[in-house]
Amino acid sequence: MHSTLVRAQNVFGFFTTVAFCTALLTALSVLLTPQTPSATIELRNVQVVKGRPHYYSPKKEEYAHIKFDLDADFTSLFNWNTKQLFVWITATYPPANTSSSAHPSQAIIWDTIVNSHSQSHPFNPFKFFEKAPLSTKKPQKSTPTKKQEPRLRPGIVRLKNSKPKYQITDISGLLSDCVNVTLEVGWNVQPWVGALTWTLPEGMQLGRWKGVKGGKSKVFNMPALKGKSANSEPVVASSGTPKAAEASAVL
Amino acid sequence: MFSALSSLQPRQFLTQILNFALVLSTAFMLWKGLSVATDSPSPIVVVLSGSMEPAFQRGDLLFLWNRGMNTQIGEVVVYNVKGKDIPIVHRVVRRYGGGEQPLKLLTKGDNNLADDTELYARGQDYLERSQDIIGSVVGYVPFVGYVTILLSEHPWLKTVMLGIMGVMVVLQRE
Repeated sequence: MHSTLVRAQNVFGFFTTVAFCTALLTALSVLLTPQTPSATIELRNVQVVKGRPHYYSPKKEEYAHIKFDLDADFTSLFNWNTKQLFVWITATYPPANTSSSAHPSQAIIWDTIVNSHSQSHPFNPFKFFEKAPLSTKKPQKSTPTKKQEPRLRPGIVRLKNSKPKYQITDISGLLSDCVNVTLEVGWNVQPWVGALTWTLPEGMQLGRWKGVKGGKSKVFNMPALKGKSANSEPVVASSGTPKAAEASAVL
Repeated sequence: MFSALSSLQPRQFLTQILNFALVLSTAFMLWKGLSVATDSPSPIVVVLSGSMEPAFQRGDLLFLWNRGMNTQIGEVVVYNVKGKDIPIVHRVVRRYGGGEQPLKLLTKGDNNLADDTELYARGQDYLERSQDIIGSVVGYVPFVGYVTILLSEHPWLKTVMLGIMGVMVVLQRE
C-alpha cells in the first residue's frame, strides 16, 4: 500500500504527532524555569466623589479615585513560552452592612498588558531575504557595524503617583468611609501554548516557583465624600462601547 | 473505487462500518466525558473575535474548567448572556459576594476600554457566577480551532469531511 493517499495520510499523521509532542514539551518546560516575582505597592492618595456609571444614566453612585506607586519586578515570569503578562491592581474591601464573615469585595483599579520579547518582535523568516544584498558586490568593510541593541527583559513595572485606570464603585453604590481597604498586585501569565497561570500568593511555593514577595499595600480607609454640593461636575465612569470576544463550542 | 467496494466480503464490509461507528461514538463519548469531568456544557471553545487580543485571537482553542465556583478576580471566564446564543470570553474585573451570598461578577475584555455592562441583558448589571458562567479558561492552544470555524462557516464541508472519513474507513484494509 504505497498509494499517494496513504503517503499523504502518513505525512499528516507524523506532522500532527510531532506538533503535539513539541507543544506538550514546551508547555511542561515552563515548570523548570524558576520564578521569583516581587512587587511593592503603596497608596498615594484616595478620593471619593459622586458620579454616574455612564453619561446618560440618572443613577448616582460614589466612586473611589485611588492613586498609587508601584514598583514591580516580573522579569522571572518571562520564559520562552510566555506570550504576554497581564498585570493588575485590585482594591479589596469588606462589603457594607454585612457580617464580618462575608467575603470581601474586589475591584480592579488599574491593569496593563506586558508583551514578551517574542510577542513584540515576532520571528520573521523573510527578514533574512530582505537583508541579503541583491548585487554581487562585496559590502565595504569600512562601514561601521550596527551595534546590537541590548535585549531588554520585559517585566519591570515602575509607576510613580499613577492615576487609576478605573474609578471603582461598590454594588451598593456607597464607598465613602469604608474601612480596611488594601491594594494588591495580581498577574496572569498567558502562554504561547499550554496552561495559564495566575498570581502565586506570598509564602506559597510550587516547585521552582516562589510566591510574590510583597505585593500588598498597607491597610487604609476611604475618606468621606468630597464636594457634597450638587453643582460639582460628576464623574462619568465608563466611556466607549465594549466589543464581545465571542467563542463557540468545538462540537 | 466501486470495484474495491464490490470486492469486499459482505462480512468484512459490515465490520468496517462497525469500525466507523465505533470511531464516531468514541469521539462523542470523549467529548461528553470531558463535559462531565469539567462540569461545563462545552469544555473546549474556539475564539471567534478579538476583544481579548493580543492574548486570544480568532481560531484559538480554549480549555475550560467549571468546578471552582469561587471565581477569583483576574480569571478569564466564558459566559452566556441571557437571550443570546454566542458565549463571550472576558476577564473578571470586579467581584462582589461569594460564600453564602451569591457571587456577582463584572467582566471586561483586555482590548476594550469599557467594561461589559452594555453587553449584558437589559437591566442586568452583573453576572451571576452559578447561572451565567459556563467555565473559566485554564488552557490555551493556538490556531487549531480554525478547523471548527471553517466547518461552521461552510456547512457543506462537514458533509464532505464525514463522507471522506466514511469512505476511507470502509476502504481501509488491515
